Amino acid sequence: MLRFSILVEHWDLYMQGFGHTIKASVLALIGSLALGTIIAIFRIAPIRPLNWVGTAYVEFIRNIPLVLIVFVFFMGLPAVGIRFDSFTAGTLGLMVYTAAFIAEAIRSGIQAVPKGQMEAARSSGLTYLQAMRYVILPQAVKIVIPPLGNQFINLVKNSSVLGVIAGLDLMYYGDLISSKTFVTFDVYIFVALFYLVLTIPLSLGVGYLERRLLKAR
Amino acid sequence: MIYFHQVNKYYGDFHVLKDINLTINQGEVVVIIGPSGSGKSTLVRCINRLETISSGELIVDGVKVNDKGVNINELRRNIGMVFQHFNLYPHMTVLQNITLAPRKVLGMSEKEANEIAMYYLEKVGIPDKANAYPSALSGGQQQRVAIARGLAMKPKIMLFDEPTSALDPETIGEVLDVMKQLAKEGMTMVVVTHEMGFAREVADRIVFMDQGRILEEAPPEEFFAAPKEERARVFLSRILNH
Repeated sequence: MLRFSILVEHWDLYMQGFGHTIKASVLALIGSLALGTIIAIFRIAPIRPLNWVGTAYVEFIRNIPLVLIVFVFFMGLPAVGIRFDSFTAGTLGLMVYTAAFIAEAIRSGIQAVPKGQMEAARSSGLTYLQAMRYVILPQAVKIVIPPLGNQFINLVKNSSVLGVIAGLDLMYYGDLISSKTFVTFDVYIFVALFYLVLTIPLSLGVGYLERRLLKAR
Repeated sequence: MIYFHQVNKYYGDFHVLKDINLTINQGEVVVIIGPSGSGKSTLVRCINRLETISSGELIVDGVKVNDKGVNINELRRNIGMVFQHFNLYPHMTVLQNITLAPRKVLGMSEKEANEIAMYYLEKVGIPDKANAYPSALSGGQQQRVAIARGLAMKPKIMLFDEPTSALDPETIGEVLDVMKQLAKEGMTMVVVTHEMGFAREVADRIVFMDQGRILEEAPPEEFFAAPKEERARVFLSRILNH
């Protein structure tokens, strides 16, 4: 039987961790969405050097472990005089990492919009960026929502990487409670439940959006 | 208005346009015909630089289209284009489709752009569809919206790339009627089409292309009565007697 007393007695600690996990997720989500969109546009813009930068970013970042990227922010950058606290370092690492996946999702969404749309927009005199903004991106958004939703769910779960550098998140407080009480199983079950509280509504929300956008077509 | 001089274009090794020389004057309606793969569409798409040329000279409205310093957006606002597959923006209403470029390129107010859009929607005969989405329209209606969208920029030239090829036979007529009206009003038009009736009735000149070359250029009466080139004769007999 699960010992709920653990949850009750350490409610404050769980809440601390839960709060930080939400904060890290939201910040990394906003950041990676912005950065990922820019990288995606770099990859498909009709300017070669930008294509290279975009491709290099995606291939480099998505092919190394998340933990390593977080270590770079936490322990690598101080070597060149840039210092972050553990929460900031973890959130930045998470953002930079997720941006690579989001960039790929957005790129494939943009490329799924028929070529004639860009041609029609450009031949009416719109600039490349205007055509992107008013014609291509609004259509790409609908295509991109399902894969993007998956990335957001991954992001929430991946935020547990903060625990590795004492980033004050759920995982970190789980470790803390476990080492105080010498209980492992129950402690981490509650940690898992807190993650589910975040990811299941997210998952349902994405499904709902998907169905609504499908109808709007 | 449009001047091709010794224009060549390659896709890799494939020679799409061969030594094209063609002059189109203001107010002229030129219809380009020929078998598929003859380079008709490519030729038209070069005029607003949807395709770039490999060599030669192409001057449109006094601008060397492929010069480095050319502001292509400035040139394009004076050239309307209508595509085979309409290419309306599916996430916008008819009105929004038409007003996008006038607002964002010409900087018109929403009110002004809407008035112009309604004027051209009247002209193409479907003002009642202003607030519909493209998916709710028939092919012929969609193509008429596409024409209105092009006209709303008050272009000097209109390009038509097989505007009726994707339409039901029933709705082809309504699109051709709009194009005829436009021709009557003196619009400079370059039209790629297989509609020989339209070509005969409306064109000032027929350009016949095959395998990337212009083989014959003649007024329609002359061309349809007695094409000089054997290839054109064969093409016409196939397309007219089936």
